[in-house]
Amino acid sequence: MKQQTHEFLFRIKALFAKRRLDREMADELAFHQAMLKEKLVRQGASPAEAERAAQVRFGDGRRWHERLRELWQFRWLENLGRDTRFSLRVLWKARGFTAVAILTLALGVGANTTVFSIVNGLLLRPLPVPDSDRLVVLGMSRDFPEPGYTFPEPVFRVLENRHDVFSEVFASFRTDAEVKSDSGMERARLQMVSGDFFSGLEVPPQIGRVLGRADDVKGGNPAGLAAVISEAFWGRWFDRDPNVVGQKLRVDNTVFTVVGVMPKRFIGVDPLDRPEIYVPLSAEPALNGDRNLTAAGTRAWWITLMARLRDGVSVPQANAALMASSDSVLDQVTDSVWIADRRREHFHLIAETGSTGFTYVRLLFKKPLVAVFAMCGGVLLLACLNLASLLMARGAARQKELATKLSMGATRNRLVQQLLIESLLISLAGTIAGLTVAPLLGRALSALLLGGETKTNVDTTLDIRVFAFAALASLVAALLVGLVPALQATSRGLNEQMKMGQHATQAHEKQRILPRAMMTVEVGLALMLVVAAGLLASSLVRLYKSGAGFDPKNLKNIEISMDHQPLRGNALMQFYQQVGGELRRQPGVKDVSWEWVVPLSHMTWDDTYYTPGGKEQDIHENAVAPEYFRAMRIPLFEGRDFAWDDRPSDSKKVILNRTAADLLLPGRNPLGQFINKKEKGKVIQYEVIGVAGDAKYEDMRQSSPPTLYHAMSQGDDDQAPSFNAVVRVESATGTLATAARSIVQRINPEIPAPKVSSMETIVDESLSAERTMALLSVFFALCALSVTAIGLYGTLAYSTARRTSEIGIRMALGARRVEVARLIFVQNSAVALGGTAGGLACALLGSKVLASFLYGTSARDPWVFTGSILLLALIASAASLLPALRAARIEPMRAIRCE
Amino acid sequence: MLILKALYRGPQHGYAVAEWIQGTSQQVLKVEEGALYPALHRMELRGFLKAKWGASENNRRAKFYELTAEGQKQLQSESRRWARLSSAVAFVMQAS
Repeated sequence: MKQQTHEFLFRIKALFAKRRLDREMADELAFHQAMLKEKLVRQGASPAEAERAAQVRFGDGRRWHERLRELWQFRWLENLGRDTRFSLRVLWKARGFTAVAILTLALGVGANTTVFSIVNGLLLRPLPVPDSDRLVVLGMSRDFPEPGYTFPEPVFRVLENRHDVFSEVFASFRTDAEVKSDSGMERARLQMVSGDFFSGLEVPPQIGRVLGRADDVKGGNPAGLAAVISEAFWGRWFDRDPNVVGQKLRVDNTVFTVVGVMPKRFIGVDPLDRPEIYVPLSAEPALNGDRNLTAAGTRAWWITLMARLRDGVSVPQANAALMASSDSVLDQVTDSVWIADRRREHFHLIAETGSTGFTYVRLLFKKPLVAVFAMCGGVLLLACLNLASLLMARGAARQKELATKLSMGATRNRLVQQLLIESLLISLAGTIAGLTVAPLLGRALSALLLGGETKTNVDTTLDIRVFAFAALASLVAALLVGLVPALQATSRGLNEQMKMGQHATQAHEKQRILPRAMMTVEVGLALMLVVAAGLLASSLVRLYKSGAGFDPKNLKNIEISMDHQPLRGNALMQFYQQVGGELRRQPGVKDVSWEWVVPLSHMTWDDTYYTPGGKEQDIHENAVAPEYFRAMRIPLFEGRDFAWDDRPSDSKKVILNRTAADLLLPGRNPLGQFINKKEKGKVIQYEVIGVAGDAKYEDMRQSSPPTLYHAMSQGDDDQAPSFNAVVRVESATGTLATAARSIVQRINPEIPAPKVSSMETIVDESLSAERTMALLSVFFALCALSVTAIGLYGTLAYSTARRTSEIGIRMALGARRVEVARLIFVQNSAVALGGTAGGLACALLGSKVLASFLYGTSARDPWVFTGSILLLALIASAASLLPALRAARIEPMRAIRCE
Repeated sequence: MLILKALYRGPQHGYAVAEWIQGTSQQVLKVEEGALYPALHRMELRGFLKAKWGASENNRRAKFYELTAEGQKQLQSESRRWARLSSAVAFVMQAS
């Protein structure tokens, strides 16, 4: 034993001192040779004779050198080297096969790594803060199916001081803000944070200090309102000025003093957000003006809460503690009506792991991504099956070579090892190819999915997890996929091999079953993926075609922020009229109007209304200007539109949509009827002056809710003053933004630049989850189809090549080329049919899973299924055509001769 | 075993070992270089010998081998085995 360890250690040392060892060996042998020569000379030979004798004795010095060197090397290492070199030569000789195999694996691994890196960036990557696994996200569980994650400010303030199981509880809120610079106002990403935010995340600043409890009070600390900026903002705004601390920033017309700069890797708590300025939460009233969220108290749910667990406390323990203390937390909120409502909903607080931070997008995408993962697995399985059957087909072709080697003394283990190295090399090359393509694909895909105007950044850069995933995938592929073919290929001795050879005898049926079975499974899998893609894509198309109720084509949305302007009431309406008039005069503009709620933007305004003697109904609302319905192309069925001279002092007028009219005033003529609402003890009456068509409100999937439109000019004085212009243009012009900006600036340069967006983009974004699913499933289906086509072609090509002599004899006996082609072509049909049948059955059963994602499409849509089957049949035929054609071109004489 | 015995008297280089064996066996045992050096290296690998580079009698650079404690033990066990073997063969040959 001791000898062996000594050997091992010496060999390790030899690995590092190869050249020195070589030199020493050469020196040693040279010394011996020299001594020998001297002895011969002493014994009387001439120097020349001595030289020759020595040469003869020593022979080829190199050979001895080699033998000595061998002693010092690791046997298996040197074997491995030799095998690798041999495998590389073999693979290079069969370039076509190698290319096909690498491509297959690249597609499989590439597709999966791409999607995995997106999932990683979205769901799995932990926040770049110390001990991120000690962070939790706080939420509330009520009688609704999903928990809620946004809190009103008073609730947060209660929790902020109750530590119990948490060392810190902190809050954040992300928004955009306008920062004043010398050239005007510029947009920046803002994050409002509570006092313990930075101490809870435990990341120190690179310059200056962070915000603390003393900053999170009304009016800020005694020195004024403080702000912390990100490294990116520091570069963009201050040119990385080292004296940035103490400089002032004017954010949304409020002055802040910069007190610190955060390091580059700090991104707050939302992995998809890149905040540029952090301000105290208590500055929200100053930033948002009169209609600020803090003043709304328990009626506004806007703050995200996170906390850091105390040492030794686990997440379940925290949950238990929160459950027990939820009641007393509620009691401390000073709004008894609100408390009663929450008690009725069985409200209690919950904590979830927060190591990956918190983002809304994750809530949207969680379910689809899990389904996508399943498809990922399908594609990888497909690629592996493909590779396995290709290797098997190839192994069958190399049987003679392997049998010869076996008979000459090679052990089966060594042969299997060499074949495994081949498949390992292929999978390595395929993985590297897939990995190089993955980042580009990932960026393109995530841009398509989450792009648009919401600036979300999914970090799809390859990190350790992604590498580990790809490495694992390729290793599994190589071993599993290479082992079976290797074992199968080496299973026959030379004797058997020579007996069977290339004779036109019975085809080796037994041997061909396994690859054909695998191809059948592959075809089935491909069919399932194509069906999934078809269902999701047609569902998406139906969603778009269902219409929004208005025409979003060539409709622009202009957001004007008037929160900080003093204009109210009549003066405000005149402002909007003026801006609207100037906009209408722009070239290419057809209609202009105003709305308060932008449809499909996840914003909701609703209240309870009732008719005298009728039931209370929950009605959605919006406030709009005259010509709104015309600009939106919503039909106005009955009555009249609003007019600018409808004043707040006049009787309140409203327009109902069809659904609301049918709900509140069924069977009667709604015009002239009154709808009532209870507000602060009084009853307000609204007169119905028109009925409009239904339009989608919150999102495209839900049908249009009963909606009531107020006249914008009849709003109360405390109505929020910021409206959105809806502008119908003739064609997509980029000049609208500049025109709007100059119009607004001319009237009042203090008004921040209006934000122009396209209604089509807003519709797209509201469908982002559905678009994700459809796009990804189509991507996977395409990968699956390519891989299957490659596999079908490859295996058929190989088996055809082996049957060359059989075909030659057939043709010599009179078979026509067409018949031969048909023979080969039909060979794949069993595989294709079997696979299609199997895949069809599985798809029919499995498509129920997708049912919840589909809109207006049955999970068994006959068109989709038929189309998928046809598509697969087409691909299978195309893949089988080439080998069939090649078989038909075989020259009989040459074929029989080549055995 | 012969190599080990040759080095029992003190460190030597490879050539000297071969010469000593040849001389002491009265020219009967001629050690081929092709067997000598692999054996020396193998024993160095196994820890029976320790190697050091030094100057030979005529001031050339040579690799000297020295017996280690392990090597001494190995020499003893091998010579015991050889003694047993040779006396056994002798007994068999002496039997009539």
